[in-house]
Amino acid sequence: MDRTEERQGLLSALPVALVLAAIFLAPLLVVALFAFMPPGSFGLAHAPTLENFRLFFAQGYYSSLLWSLGMAAAATIVLFLVCYPLAYGMAKVFRSFTLVITLLVVMSLFVSENIRLFGWVLTLMKGGLLSGYLKAWTGLEMDSALYSVPVIVFGLVYSYLPFMLFPLAQGIAMVPEDVRLAASDLGASRTRILWEIDLPLAMPGIVVGSLLSFVLSAGAMAESKLLGGQTVVVMADEIESAFTYGQNWPLGSALAVILILIIGLLATVALAKVDLDGIMGRRR
Amino acid sequence: MAGDTVLRLRGVRKSFGAFTALAGIDLEITDGEFLTIVGPSGSGKTTLIRLLVGMEEPSAGEIHLRDRLINKVPANERPTCMVFQSLALFPHRTVGENIEFPMKLKGVSPDRRRERALELLALLHLPEAYYGKRVQACSGGEQQRVALARALAFDPEILFFDEPLSALDYRLRKVLEKELKDLHRRTGKTFVYITHSLEEAMVMSDRIAIMRGGAIVQVGTAEQIYTAPANAFVAEFMGEVNLFPVTGGDDGRLLCGDLEIRGHDERLRLASGGQGQLMVRPEFVRFLAPGEEADCRLQGRLANVFSLGSRLQYEIEAEGPRGERRLVTVEKLREERFAGAPNGPVTLGWRLADAHLIREA
Amino acid sequence: MKHAPLTRAALLVYGILVLVVLYVPVAAIAFASFSKARYLSFPIRRYTTEWYERAFDSSTVPELVSTSLKVAFAVAVISVVIGFFGALAFARYRWRFRGLFQKLVLLPIFFPQAVLGLAILMWFNALGIVPTWQTAIVAHLTWIAPIATLIIAIRAYGFDPALEEAARDLGAGTWQVLREVTLPLLWPGIVSAGLFAFLLSWGNFPLSLFTTGADSTLPEWLYAKMVSGYSPLVPSVGVMTVLVSIVLIAGGFAFVWGSRRRRG
Repeated sequence: MDRTEERQGLLSALPVALVLAAIFLAPLLVVALFAFMPPGSFGLAHAPTLENFRLFFAQGYYSSLLWSLGMAAAATIVLFLVCYPLAYGMAKVFRSFTLVITLLVVMSLFVSENIRLFGWVLTLMKGGLLSGYLKAWTGLEMDSALYSVPVIVFGLVYSYLPFMLFPLAQGIAMVPEDVRLAASDLGASRTRILWEIDLPLAMPGIVVGSLLSFVLSAGAMAESKLLGGQTVVVMADEIESAFTYGQNWPLGSALAVILILIIGLLATVALAKVDLDGIMGRRR
Repeated sequence: MAGDTVLRLRGVRKSFGAFTALAGIDLEITDGEFLTIVGPSGSGKTTLIRLLVGMEEPSAGEIHLRDRLINKVPANERPTCMVFQSLALFPHRTVGENIEFPMKLKGVSPDRRRERALELLALLHLPEAYYGKRVQACSGGEQQRVALARALAFDPEILFFDEPLSALDYRLRKVLEKELKDLHRRTGKTFVYITHSLEEAMVMSDRIAIMRGGAIVQVGTAEQIYTAPANAFVAEFMGEVNLFPVTGGDDGRLLCGDLEIRGHDERLRLASGGQGQLMVRPEFVRFLAPGEEADCRLQGRLANVFSLGSRLQYEIEAEGPRGERRLVTVEKLREERFAGAPNGPVTLGWRLADAHLIREA
Repeated sequence: MKHAPLTRAALLVYGILVLVVLYVPVAAIAFASFSKARYLSFPIRRYTTEWYERAFDSSTVPELVSTSLKVAFAVAVISVVIGFFGALAFARYRWRFRGLFQKLVLLPIFFPQAVLGLAILMWFNALGIVPTWQTAIVAHLTWIAPIATLIIAIRAYGFDPALEEAARDLGAGTWQVLREVTLPLLWPGIVSAGLFAFLLSWGNFPLSLFTTGADSTLPEWLYAKMVSGYSPLVPSVGVMTVLVSIVLIAGGFAFVWGSRRRRG
């Protein structure tokens, strides 16, 4: 009965909800509180201040934020363009190959991100896989591709490919085949179908994929550190430095709050427009 | 005991938020009868059955099982069992395990369970070898029977059916309709069946309840509802019908603009100035020879003939008092076919004794 | 919709290309792990397996492996248990706060892990808890329990609610329904979720970095070595880490295959 389901729903949700409240919400609350503490202090027993946020602007931390957001945006766009054909293939064209792709991509996720990025370092560095074999086979010299902004974006594209690919494939799969056939029957060209039917109807998948890619890229640190060296310092890096080297928890917290707010705002706005149950295939 | 009331509903309502699915249901179901609830989609039949089985609670009203108020009794504690539209057979269990499930819950010993399961397989004309078969490997009709066997294994007092045959093809449905009727006879249990198919209802049931818009419009045997429907909706729902608006004359006789009415039938008395509809089924309408008399007469033109297999259906166009077109349907068995020319003039007639009056409320 | 053979071929080639690029770095590391030179450069002149031997013999590596294993195993078991119930609350039952719950579960997935790790560290500090590998379990759960929940929820969505209703109708109480119907039907999802949880924890770096305290997991050690100066042990240990993942995935497949076979 309705009341049984209410009760069961509540009880079933309790373990996960409690765990998340205790180790997700609570820490975030602490961070939020610390953001308003005087810079360099360590407890919560001080009068609240906006000093850290002032420092954000005054000491140029906003450039890190802009770099993070900018590279994340670039990575997301590149990811969309790179993944769309593949996702289309997986959803509409390939049969058993879809499973192969899914398996191989998922398996790559299980290799620690650092290891894979380190592999790129070995590949792209001077004397690395690419330049080494290139020289050995053709005699051409190649400079290290590392330590530049494009390679960081490449690293982001590489790391977060599955997070764009799978939602996108799912979204495209949701475009009813008979609608496409009807459009074709009525005279629409392939491009027209793409523009007027595929993209709008796959929108939930596009939104989720883009959101995931952007948000994860904006908060990423390993790519810029391992692949980019000191070329650019991203926001997540600044936050970590503030905590560890700077020993400045309030500043770190404030920077974290700013990053979280921007990401959170984007996520909330985008998710509100998307029918979650619909994407995940709810029957009732 | 057969003949007693086993389920009584009084003033049962069910709302989901602002939407009222059931608007005050009163119904009495007799022990051992086969009652079918028929109605178009959205009429509330499924909601009603879910209330009776215990999957929802009524928003108002009372449901009594014999003398016990069962409004709040959950499904697993009611002596009722339902055969779902989707059958809901456990895909991860074999046929035998599915059938034994309710017995296992009641703590019946494995030997006794197996014995009973095999009995039920036999009762439903399934081979003993099916005991270990996977559910997905069974055909649609076989799965139906497994679902039935499982429900019977629970040994319920009342068995409910939620449109179980709607997904099957015509032939299989006909076979299973007969088997269900037979099963009812052999087990003697109360069957409450819902469907949107009138034909199913008429073939299998002792009584039929017609639902529309969340209310029960009429309850009775198929014969009763067919010949004396409570309103135009029921009349049309039960099959092809001809309806003519009538008003009551000064002496209780019927006045109709479309027909010549002679004579009088006490059954069809209408208060002076009252409104109603005179109803006659197509099979009672005759083609009159020139000069032939009848209680009701109508002139028209033979517009169409349709072949319905064993019967022929004639469509006659007649003109109403203000010039509007009316279609009158006549049905005849093949051997009584009418030999008139297409588009030719015809005169129709019938007896008042074969007609029925629907009084406007 | 029929696609021209040229389109199909082009898409296929593209797909293969992407997969190759995906695994290039893995290949690079695999190669590097066999290089004899102390300072790595390609093409590799001399091959050896000495780095693998060194890794096995070293005092730190086995301990790292043990820590990583303990954490991953605990995370897998816990996330699967709470994820099972969470998935039911997410996808199956109609209850008042379901929408809110769904958002709560999704939130940690979108979160920058490094920031989350730091936040949890501060939180532990405020509570006076000293970080050890046990606290890392808790930290991993923040991210991995929602993922486990989602994986099982995807399966729960495709689940015919009539099955549970039928079981109730046939007399089953709440726990009996869960045990006899819900659990067996969601089992494949549970196994996948467990596998995912283990592997994601095994390879996780950002959360571990801040919350293991004095203890260290394999990814943490690898990272430290990567940034502080090349050591030939890194590729070999890296490869070993990957091998464990592969073995587990293969084992998972064998299990699913086998159970599907057994069900006939």
